[in-house]
Amino acid sequence: MASSNLRAYLVRLAVLLAGLFLLAGAGLLHRFAQLPTALTLLAQYLGMVGILWGLNAFFFRRVPLTGVVLFVFSGAAFGVLFFLGFFLQEIVGPWLIDSAGRFIGLVRLTDLIFYAFALMTVLGAAGCAFSGNIIYSAWSLLFAFMGVAGLYVFLGADFPAVAQVLIYVGGILVLILFAIMLTKQIGEDPKLTNAHLALPVGGALGAVTVGTLSYMAVMAPWKVVAAPSYQPVSAALGVAFLTDYLLPFEVVSVVLLAALVGAVVIARKEIKETSDQPI
Amino acid sequence: MTSIGLPHFLIVGAALFALGMITVVTRRNAVGILMGVELILNAANVNFIAFNHYVEGPGKVTGQVFSIFVIVLAAAEAAVGLAIVLAIYQTFRTIDVQETDTLRQ
Repeated sequence: MASSNLRAYLVRLAVLLAGLFLLAGAGLLHRFAQLPTALTLLAQYLGMVGILWGLNAFFFRRVPLTGVVLFVFSGAAFGVLFFLGFFLQEIVGPWLIDSAGRFIGLVRLTDLIFYAFALMTVLGAAGCAFSGNIIYSAWSLLFAFMGVAGLYVFLGADFPAVAQVLIYVGGILVLILFAIMLTKQIGEDPKLTNAHLALPVGGALGAVTVGTLSYMAVMAPWKVVAAPSYQPVSAALGVAFLTDYLLPFEVVSVVLLAALVGAVVIARKEIKETSDQPI
Repeated sequence: MTSIGLPHFLIVGAALFALGMITVVTRRNAVGILMGVELILNAANVNFIAFNHYVEGPGKVTGQVFSIFVIVLAAAEAAVGLAIVLAIYQTFRTIDVQETDTLRQ
């Protein structure tokens, strides 16, 4: 019994596939080889009958489709499908193409790139602010930094963009990740829960801040230049560092040296103690 | 739809600043607070460079010079700050800023 059952299933499956093939093939022939419409409709109807008969082996088996019921039901299903296809092809399709064309005419590629970078920045910062896990916060900081670098490129600031990637992503983020991993024991919960009141209060503070600053940014009459330039700036930046900003430049190098030595001195104690401890 | 201009960048900077401030205010993890400070410095940098591009005009780089100084100081701040965090962790065995409110153990 089992083998005959299986054979019946296989026959149904073959008929189902043949019906699908008939349906699609007749449509393609009609489209590309000018098959007469009446013939196409007949072939597709027969394909529909085959599909329903095949499907009946797997779905709704309590209502066996046989004889006249099968053909009437197939006709109804075919009518519905035909109407749906007609509707999609004649009404929805042109509307979609039309609105897509209008959308593309409205939006410029550069604007889209800006919004992509801005979204990446803000979402990364939001992830850093709201993520419960400090590791996830650090990784979303990566997206924020990269997005900011993209915004710098957008503003024609090539050198700061590269410095952003090198120093923030390559340096500071790695430092932060090291600090996270050095201050956690394995197995300890990396989450550090915030106070219950903190998020609503912080959110309100942030909303007020962003609202005020955005209002100011939109409303203030900035003296914007007519044609911003997108020339490379590295040469001008180097000249500025060695002429107008020579003293700050030297001072900042001393600050960096002091920070380097200071960081080593502050953090060195830890290395000594842990290396002395027997594990 | 108008083209991208100065206000767009200032709004992104404002959002970055607000999110950084939220991070600083709500985090109890000292490293998290440092990450918020980095976000705030980035917001300032975005504003510096946007003003340099749109207000200062072609051929002038003052805003970018300031942004480079900010990046340098942020690097120094991160190095020293994280070293301090490690030292605090050494002493207190935690970096929850609500528990580490004394300068000595």
